[in-house]
Amino acid sequence: MTNIDARILIAKTGLDGHWRGSSLVARALRDAGFEVIMLGMAKVDEIVQAAVDEDVDLLGLSIGGHYNVVERIVDTMRQTRPELPIFVGGVVPPWARKKLEAKDVEVYPPGSQLEEIVGAARRLTGVDA
Amino acid sequence: MTEIRRDKWETASGLPLKPFYTSDDVPQWHREKIDAAPGGAPFHRGAFPQGYRTKPWRIFQLIGFGKPEDENERIKFLLEQGATGFIMEHDRNTADHLYDVDNPEVVARHEDVGLTGAVMQSVRDTEICLDGIPIESRFGHAGGGVVQHAPFALAAYWTVARRRNIDFSILAGTGQSDFFLTYLGCVNKQQIPTGPGLRLNADIMEFCDRHLPKWVPVSIAGYNGADTGLNAYQELGALFANLVEYLDEIKRRDSMPIERAAKACGGVSFRLAMDLFEEASKMRAARLMWGDLLGRRYGITDDRIRSGLRIHCVTAGSAMNYSQPLNNIVRGTLMGLAGVLGGIQSLGVSGYDEALSIPSEHAHQMSVRIQQILRHESNAAAVTDPLAGSYYVESLTATLVEKAWEFFEEIQQQGGFLAALDSGWLHARAHENQQADFLAQQNGEKVIVGTTHFRDDVSPFEVDGFIGVSDAFDVAMERLKEVRRTRDSARAGKALRDLETVCRGDDNIMPAMMEALDAEATLGEIGDVYRTCFGDWDRPAITQR
Repeated sequence: MTNIDARILIAKTGLDGHWRGSSLVARALRDAGFEVIMLGMAKVDEIVQAAVDEDVDLLGLSIGGHYNVVERIVDTMRQTRPELPIFVGGVVPPWARKKLEAKDVEVYPPGSQLEEIVGAARRLTGVDA
Repeated sequence: MTEIRRDKWETASGLPLKPFYTSDDVPQWHREKIDAAPGGAPFHRGAFPQGYRTKPWRIFQLIGFGKPEDENERIKFLLEQGATGFIMEHDRNTADHLYDVDNPEVVARHEDVGLTGAVMQSVRDTEICLDGIPIESRFGHAGGGVVQHAPFALAAYWTVARRRNIDFSILAGTGQSDFFLTYLGCVNKQQIPTGPGLRLNADIMEFCDRHLPKWVPVSIAGYNGADTGLNAYQELGALFANLVEYLDEIKRRDSMPIERAAKACGGVSFRLAMDLFEEASKMRAARLMWGDLLGRRYGITDDRIRSGLRIHCVTAGSAMNYSQPLNNIVRGTLMGLAGVLGGIQSLGVSGYDEALSIPSEHAHQMSVRIQQILRHESNAAAVTDPLAGSYYVESLTATLVEKAWEFFEEIQQQGGFLAALDSGWLHARAHENQQADFLAQQNGEKVIVGTTHFRDDVSPFEVDGFIGVSDAFDVAMERLKEVRRTRDSARAGKALRDLETVCRGDDNIMPAMMEALDAEATLGEIGDVYRTCFGDWDRPAITQR
């Protein structure tokens, strides 16, 4: 494994403790050589703050709640660090997926393959550029 | 699309499969059990010979979202559609964490409130949720899947019954307080440690033994272990490892006869996944193991207890796919069929929109329809234990029993079920299976129609996912203020102080919890008592990194 010079922050947006999805994704990203910071269940301002403090190259949100919370995170993030790419996974209804994609957020719903997600991380962090 | 390549023939748990089976494949120890009739030893064939003819399985669906009145409406709808019981879902943000809606953690995510269950912060909310539902004649699941929430959820349900003057001796229903959910599948931000969790469950068992003879006090849900990644025999082994923690605790307390404790623990749930024969065999293996364990470890000789395992099943949420969601109707049917062939007593079929959102009304109705088609049209329920005598199924049943006891022993070597949760050992087993599963999909060894292969979708049906209820938070906030303003605050305050005293000591907490609910203490206030007395669980690192 070659280390990749890029850091990814992964946070859970809701108070739902199902950890299977985010932990699998984190593991796959680490195995691919990324540095992954797991924030766990965090509030909107905590997620934005961590993304700034840790100077990450990509933000991954595990959605365990309503679209509107994710929208607030995305909108705040765009004001704070507009260039930071964001991708999300979890239970995202199709109507919410459309709204997120319109905001340039990539969505990886259940059934997404880990290699797809790792590929997206490489592309979004510019590793493949 | 990856080419489909199958050169390994095995069950979903990785048990190797032959192209066909003969009597030689059934081990000698099991061969002599094959001709036993249902109702007696060795119990794998079912609790009694008539099976579904006299006792159809319960159509038992998870229901809940929004405000208590939204949940109430959906419960009534499903009962009208033919559900024969109901499972109350509480809002995860508040219920699982014992937070009121004005807790800063909840306020920060106010839009999430009510998305996964109704907000029930005091007995008044539970009264709204159960309004017009005849709980004296319906089998209800009070909620409280998460251990620390169970005493509150149960006491709220029972207080509603008491206020309606329903005699506790006729009240039938179930609690859950599941360790697999709480400490393995869904590791929340704040949770009491496993030791106090065990104490609360034993307290609930004792309280039901004294006051609610028809109530199932706790229900171990292997489902939550399996849908986190445990395979079929690990799910079985871990479930029995959990069971012995409960029964050993009751034995240590010497507070009720072990036969009654066993009966109290005899309502369990398993996951049904897509491997039809392995899942059907798992139910047979479970009954065999239950009868065996009660006799061997606890010296129980009463066949009514040893044959008395009651199995609820839920079809795997993780098997329900995001793409081409109508395919999930077929998956729900197949998984449900495995349960029926395995002789389970109760079934919930996941909504076809499971991977998209919580169930829409239509998806919920379809789940009930699937069960009705299985029961009334397929004729699968006419004969008890219809797979018995199949060389393959008998061989698989025996192998699952052998492998499950091995896994049970591995857990004992870790110091027992609670220790294996505290250390993260069980989480690691689940996690390695999840990874292997993804690898198999990537390699083309595992096909998921519509997801890994056959991705063209010409369906004219768009499934958009449930949107939620937008005023759940605001209404919950109003009601919280209302209850604090209008209750007898001296009585509520005293009830909370008394609860704290009991929590710090050894007495059963349920009488104090009942008084706290009747005095209209709130979820968050009770949570504060727990947080002070029991502290927070030191989570295994694997769930946090």
